[in-house]
Amino acid sequence: MKKFKQNAPAIPILVWFGILVGIPLIFVVILSFLSRDELGNIVVRFTLDNYKRIFDPIYIKVFINSLFLATLTSFITMIIGYPVAYFTANLEKKKKALAILLIMLPFWISSLLRTYGWIILLGNTGLVNNLLIGFNIIDKPLSMMYKFSTILTGTAYMLIPFMIIAIYNSVDKLDRSLLEASYDLGAGKWKTFFKITLPLTIPGIAGGFTLVFIPSLGLFFISDLLGGGKNIFLGNLINSLITKGRNKPLAAAFSVGMIIMVLIVLFIYSRLVKRNTGGADENSII
Amino acid sequence: MDKPLLSLTDVNKYFDDSHILKDISLDIHDGEFLTLLGPSGCGKTTMLRCIAGLESINSGDILLNGSSIKDLPPNKRNVNTVFQNYALFPHLNIYDNVAYGPRIKKSMNEADLKVRINEILELVQMTGYEERMTHQLSGGQRQRIAIARALINEPDILLLDEPLGALDLKLRRYMQTELASLQKQTKTTFVYVTHDQEEALNMSDRIVVLNKGVIQQVGSPREVYNNPSNLFVADFIGDRNIKKVKVIEKNGDYVRVMLKDNIIDIKCSTNATTKDCSDDYAILAIHTDKMSISCSEKPNSLMGTIISVHYSGSQIRSQVDLGGEKVAVIEYRSNDCDYKKGDKVYITWEESGAILLPMEEGFKERSGGYEEV
Amino acid sequence: MKTQSYKLRTFYLSLFFVMLYVPILSVVLYSFNKNPSTAQWTGFTLDWYRELFSDRIILESFKVSMIVAILTSIFSAILGTASAIIAIYVTKKMEKAINGLMLLPLLVPEVALGVSLLLFFSSMRLPFGYMTLVLSHSLFCVPYVYIMVQLRLKEIDNSIIEAAKDLGAARWQIIKTIILPLVFPSIITSSLLSLAMSLDDVVISTYMSGPTSTTLPVHVFSMMRVGVTPKVNALCTLILLGTFFIIGISEVFSKKNSKKEEEEVD
Repeated sequence: MKKFKQNAPAIPILVWFGILVGIPLIFVVILSFLSRDELGNIVVRFTLDNYKRIFDPIYIKVFINSLFLATLTSFITMIIGYPVAYFTANLEKKKKALAILLIMLPFWISSLLRTYGWIILLGNTGLVNNLLIGFNIIDKPLSMMYKFSTILTGTAYMLIPFMIIAIYNSVDKLDRSLLEASYDLGAGKWKTFFKITLPLTIPGIAGGFTLVFIPSLGLFFISDLLGGGKNIFLGNLINSLITKGRNKPLAAAFSVGMIIMVLIVLFIYSRLVKRNTGGADENSII
Repeated sequence: MDKPLLSLTDVNKYFDDSHILKDISLDIHDGEFLTLLGPSGCGKTTMLRCIAGLESINSGDILLNGSSIKDLPPNKRNVNTVFQNYALFPHLNIYDNVAYGPRIKKSMNEADLKVRINEILELVQMTGYEERMTHQLSGGQRQRIAIARALINEPDILLLDEPLGALDLKLRRYMQTELASLQKQTKTTFVYVTHDQEEALNMSDRIVVLNKGVIQQVGSPREVYNNPSNLFVADFIGDRNIKKVKVIEKNGDYVRVMLKDNIIDIKCSTNATTKDCSDDYAILAIHTDKMSISCSEKPNSLMGTIISVHYSGSQIRSQVDLGGEKVAVIEYRSNDCDYKKGDKVYITWEESGAILLPMEEGFKERSGGYEEV
Repeated sequence: MKTQSYKLRTFYLSLFFVMLYVPILSVVLYSFNKNPSTAQWTGFTLDWYRELFSDRIILESFKVSMIVAILTSIFSAILGTASAIIAIYVTKKMEKAINGLMLLPLLVPEVALGVSLLLFFSSMRLPFGYMTLVLSHSLFCVPYVYIMVQLRLKEIDNSIIEAAKDLGAARWQIIKTIILPLVFPSIITSSLLSLAMSLDDVVISTYMSGPTSTTLPVHVFSMMRVGVTPKVNALCTLILLGTFFIIGISEVFSKKNSKKEEEEVD
């Protein structure tokens, strides 16, 4: 009873989240099992059709594309971002603070702006082509837009600050004396990096991976703007099913599919972190 | 006999499975400076916090002016604490820090409060610091504000948790005198916690010696210094040589004992909590700095050979071998001879500096001064 | 050996930062281009900016975005701070539960969240507009306020709270006179962050906007999909300036506070 009194003030919070997050999610799950009529209205009739349709060749391709995009984005941001994080962590205090500011700044800047910039750069009449033609490096403009690589670039660009900061936190916390001990024992710089630094910063990498992978699944405006509006990714698909396709139950099923993918990633992350750090340091990225 | 201001009766306190305070009973009198003294982990800070209400007790009672306060939260007890790290509010200036208590309790209007604060700041010699912020003050200054902040509420008891611990030696000595005089001036009951016995002996009216959650002795500084109730107190207070001696017989007020080949008369402690010193063996405890070394034979003395002599500042520290037993002696000037290594000497002592205690289980010999391996 | 790695480091970081800001700068650059197409630079002009200020729809959606952002910011500040403070006083298990709940909206991809809220609100027959926007925006803003305030709360020395209790303060007095003043800087910075995030939100706002209340980003998004005039560039540049303004205030605020803590004397 005493515990209840102590926890009572938390009830409004629980109610708030329950209503705003919990119920809509439950809604979506339920909806995913319902059907619709020709007009697009929801018919309360239980069906597994929506989930079966995930395995339609067209739709399964979308799921795979999205997973592929998210995975590639995570790897690219990791490869490009790790050195940035590592070098920044080794900077002196003032430069370090400036670097961190510059890394985080884009996070505050409009994501549409950041995506539109790539349209300006990569279009047929875009800046890059203009420069290349202007310097007579090429005759005809390169076609760089509306490709998978375009979307990949845009997504990686959008999310790389997260990866960098996650890795940075890990590198920054490294005990420098461990590296010194390694040098002292005869290991060169590269060996020390691969045997000491890298393994110890895995929590940061795992965190960054998660922070990049999950949003990659859902940033449909990037694939929309840079991909030419073709519905090849899950976010676009769900979006158009709601707005144009009038198929809410299907959209719900796909949303549930997306959420399940997220849960799997989170599960892998938590197992990885637990194994690597013995359960400690759970909140290292947040 | 007046009723005590504060009474702890059979107080027990557990932290998880640890029994921190064991059947503590203590009376605290109005207007006294009482010190809780003991090594780390003895429970003295816990006891203080129980009085403050920052910890609850598992059994027993705490009575303030006759009524039980054990179920009252700290903000309802007329008791205030000076914290070890001062705990001044960083976002308020000095004036607002000191004004906090009265303002919360709405005990006076702002005009009267201003007067009171001026008085209190003058008392702790911090006039003129009203506008400053906490981080602009030194350790000693913060400490005085912490005291002012507590005292302004005119509590029945002021609790001080090792307030001088973070200060350097000189400042600490100075503050000890200041605190003692402050206590007398304001006539407030002080309950003071420290592990520094010198501090306790300097400042207190009474000392409560604690070990492992049990009260070992309650008495005036003189009492605990000269008449310890058991081995722990004898060892903790002052610097003594502690030896096992064979009891021969009672000799009037004294007990005749034998240490090596020496036969001496020592008084048994009147505060001994167990039986008097009438067993086969007893514990001899002599303050190292209440002993004198002489080259000529003296009555009631210990005979031995000088092992080493060190001069350190104002002290002459010697080690003497009593035929296999070592004792340490600290003198401030050599009395009648210039002794050196190898000399045969006779050790005497001030009467109040030596005591006999009943033998205890698990007794281990030790000499004072230098640590022996 | 030392200078070589230093050079490598400087080169890599410089290259990275250039790549990071080139897309942003090109948007700004072309907002001044006379030519509506990026194919050629035909001269410097502020025409596109002038066009913006006469575009009623844009001004209207800007108004909507600002109102939603301010309301979201205030609402999130209150709810997030209250939650962080409540979390101190409840049991450990409950605290963990609250932490988990707070994290939840951040973990679900915005699309899924937007869709589920859309379905939920429409089934409740809720009118889409300011209310749905503020409610949904607060979902991803409250956690940030919570986390930042909680971080600051944990830094407060427990002995200060005990001192307040000792001096007679009841729980609500402690919150009012000690806790809130001390976490205030965090509340401000996280509120500004909420403001920026709300102003920038595209995905959720797409679903939550009503017929008469579209937010600016949603409008900009449709502009980007359709038209190709640098009017969009001009708008983006103005948004950028606004963002810098918000960040500037936030930095000044946090600098002022960390300076206070550096004036230690001893």
